Amino acid sequence: MKNILLACSSGMSTSLLVSKMEASAEALGEDVKIWAVGQDKAIADLPETDVLLIGPQMRFMQKKFEKAAEEYNVPVEVIDSMAYGRVDGEAVLKRALELAESK
Amino acid sequence: MNKFMSFLEGVLLPVADKLNNNRYLTALRDGFMVALPLIIFGSIFVVIANFPFLDMVISEEAFTAYQNALGPASAATLSIMGLFVIIGIGYKLTESYELESIYGGVVALAAFLILTPQILEETTGVIPTSVLGAEGMFLGIITAFVAAELYRFFVTRGWTIKMPAGVPGAVSKSFSALIPITMTLSVFLLIRFLFSITDFETAQTFIYSIIQEPLTALGSGLPATIIAVLFIQLFWFFGLHGQIIINSVLDPIWYTLNDQNLQAFQAGQELPNVVTKQFIDTFLVGMGGTGMTLAVIILIFAVGKSRQLKELGKLGAPAGIFNVNEPIIFGLPIVMNPLILVPWLIAPVIVTIVTFYSMSLGLVPKPAGIIVPWTTPPLLSGFLATGNAWQGAALQAVNLVIVMVIWWPFLKVMDKQYYEGEKSAENKDN
Repeated sequence: MKNILLACSSGMSTSLLVSKMEASAEALGEDVKIWAVGQDKAIADLPETDVLLIGPQMRFMQKKFEKAAEEYNVPVEVIDSMAYGRVDGEAVLKRALELAESK
Repeated sequence: MNKFMSFLEGVLLPVADKLNNNRYLTALRDGFMVALPLIIFGSIFVVIANFPFLDMVISEEAFTAYQNALGPASAATLSIMGLFVIIGIGYKLTESYELESIYGGVVALAAFLILTPQILEETTGVIPTSVLGAEGMFLGIITAFVAAELYRFFVTRGWTIKMPAGVPGAVSKSFSALIPITMTLSVFLLIRFLFSITDFETAQTFIYSIIQEPLTALGSGLPATIIAVLFIQLFWFFGLHGQIIINSVLDPIWYTLNDQNLQAFQAGQELPNVVTKQFIDTFLVGMGGTGMTLAVIILIFAVGKSRQLKELGKLGAPAGIFNVNEPIIFGLPIVMNPLILVPWLIAPVIVTIVTFYSMSLGLVPKPAGIIVPWTTPPLLSGFLATGNAWQGAALQAVNLVIVMVIWWPFLKVMDKQYYEGEKSAENKDN
């Protein structure tokens, strides 16, 4: 099973995406755990995830998260802003799985 | 245009990075987050205690008894929010240095209490609750920073009592904090003494008159508010979370102004401030999502023809009602869209001016100092924020209409572009 963590300012808008990603994971038959948190809790959840995706509006946090994620070897990426705007669960899920594979 | 935009982004991104990752601003923001559940708890009971028309339905004694029964809920939380903010900041700042954070929290509180005059008129041995709210906010924040830093300084100096091996961990921990806390609080005792021999008499008066009063006076004005709103909009235009960046600088001012209104509201006096935390959150940038995009969603339903916009409206509406609008910001898109820049910057400024004057002229009651959770839907949030006044909801409705009117021509152009694009794509398919 792959664990996917999403982070934005308070975990509100990314949680929109979580439900879409879960729906598309079910359709694709992928076994995943996806959850969203606010930026202040993301670092605490790093040990439990295989990949950390951050909302584009928080992309100025990328460096900070990458530094913290090094220890756990967790890849960090900013979600594509078009996919984010369309709440395109499938595209984000596929990208997340790719990143989690490379871990 | 493109060159200019990438230049501007090149300027704003590092600013966002600096402001958001600054250790002190992060501690400040997270410290306020610690206090937030308590602030909202207190706010809920201020709303219930001041339920509209209740004073006309039940007798005067019954109403007083009702208010007295609910009073402690806000008196113990919202009215003395400074206390929790101080503990939160001390805790979070110490945590950022990976030290025993709870000691950072309590040492910050104790340091603040040392600086606080424990006397009210002739009565000694009391702490006036007013200094734990708005009045002491800035002193509290500064004290928390200094206390946590001093604590760290003395801990990293290694001036701790080392316990021999075999002593239980908890025991040696309690001793390890002893010297740093003693040193830190002694410094504050000295600071208190030094202020007592000046004309200011207390650190409280000094910070209040030198820093807090000028800053809150500036922050409560219309020009500063417009500038803050423009910055929030501009950050979002580049897809950066404007509030989280700007709030970390302005929250102390906005919360202080808010608390002044709350104290006046509960005392039944005239409210001193128009610009407060709720003024910003409920009537300007936070209404239906940043840039009041709920109005844009309504407009899409009203005049949108293209499939793309209609789909986006359906996608954005449920979240937009609860003031979450990332689908609109990134999906419309608003981000880096030169056509949208005009209404994006103008509409909030007009709304700010309208809201400011409708409150300062007395058409709409000023925000009562009640903190409404930011996900509360518009109309309801305006009603609650103004202390249960229907005019608050009406003003939000007016603001939404203003945004719709300003956006109309621009959205029409965009809709037409999308619509024609869709039509020609269909023709190609046929």
